[in-house]
Amino acid sequence: MTSERRRYWLSLGALVVVLPAAIVVNSWDSLAEWRRSQLQKPIVVERGSAQAYAGAEWQLTGLTRLPGATPDTTLIVAEFDAVVDDPTLLQAGPCAIALTDDKGRRWLPVFLPGRAVRQGRPAAADKPRCYGLARAEKGKTIAMAETFTVPESAAGLTLSVSIGGAKPASLVLK
Amino acid sequence: MSAFLKGLGGVVLAAAVLYGMQRTTPGYGDITSPRPVAGKLGHRLEGRAFAIDIAKVQLARTVITKGASRDSTFTTSGVWVVVEGTAEALNESLTLLSAEWLGPNGVRYAMSQRLSSLPGMLSGQRLEPGLPTPVLMAFEIPESQVVGGTLLIARSAWAPLAEQARIEMVGVKPVDIHSSLVVARAQGRVPWALSAQ
Repeated sequence: MTSERRRYWLSLGALVVVLPAAIVVNSWDSLAEWRRSQLQKPIVVERGSAQAYAGAEWQLTGLTRLPGATPDTTLIVAEFDAVVDDPTLLQAGPCAIALTDDKGRRWLPVFLPGRAVRQGRPAAADKPRCYGLARAEKGKTIAMAETFTVPESAAGLTLSVSIGGAKPASLVLK
Repeated sequence: MSAFLKGLGGVVLAAAVLYGMQRTTPGYGDITSPRPVAGKLGHRLEGRAFAIDIAKVQLARTVITKGASRDSTFTTSGVWVVVEGTAEALNESLTLLSAEWLGPNGVRYAMSQRLSSLPGMLSGQRLEPGLPTPVLMAFEIPESQVVGGTLLIARSAWAPLAEQARIEMVGVKPVDIHSSLVVARAQGRVPWALSAQ
């Protein structure tokens, strides 16, 4: 009787350990992936230097400020080059571009840059946006441009580049 | 006998507990329902992803839009609710695609698609961090749903666990229904001009 009772309590106690363990084992892969994406620090590239990332050499070639539609807004035209080394890796996933400032705020590109860019920075107006990578060939240099609407006061702007095929690694162009 | 009663009691208790658990199991919709953030008309409401400030609500029987070439008149069998405010993204650029008017009887009315081509309509405005943007919303609702209404605003109507601003429309009364409201395009920070008639 006593041994039966002991086994009963032992089983009940084991449940307390086994149940959480089962949950952890089951979700281990997703947990590890989540941790990897959280811990991953972006590769920071200083202005004027190029960096290999996702099968290309990336370089920021210009950040131009243009007057926005209203007095408190500014248009930022970011121009960047990618010298293609591995087109397959480059095209393996979508390309996500964002502009960040020193307060950690993120701006996504505007869809249609419009007349302001054509007048203020004609050289950038005809450059493709990040979808220009669809035409990547080995050895070719692709010049791209993205436009952002930010407040006049935004400072310490950097361009962050993330390519699906290279995730969770990402690039920050200063 | 007492052991039999004890066993029966245990079974009945277990059945009752299981029945209670079965009846109170939350559905998928409850588990993933939006996280509400409450606010009031006339006060800035700050969430995690966006901030919104509803400044003015006007009611009308008809809405007249002034176009470049011609004017259009929109009548309704209920009442038009035209909402003006300012919205701002806090961390990352976003668009608020969903706005609903929650009536006092629990019915939700989506934004009217009839006026969606007006400048400054909420679902057509890209909100940027640090740039408060004027936004316009229009609803067609029965007159009985005006008093005690709540405005529900979210990034999208279906996203699980999304943040939802719930703004109590205090002081909006059917006594103030205008016969018509004229919406014209305007130059400057606010891209529309509203005038009551």
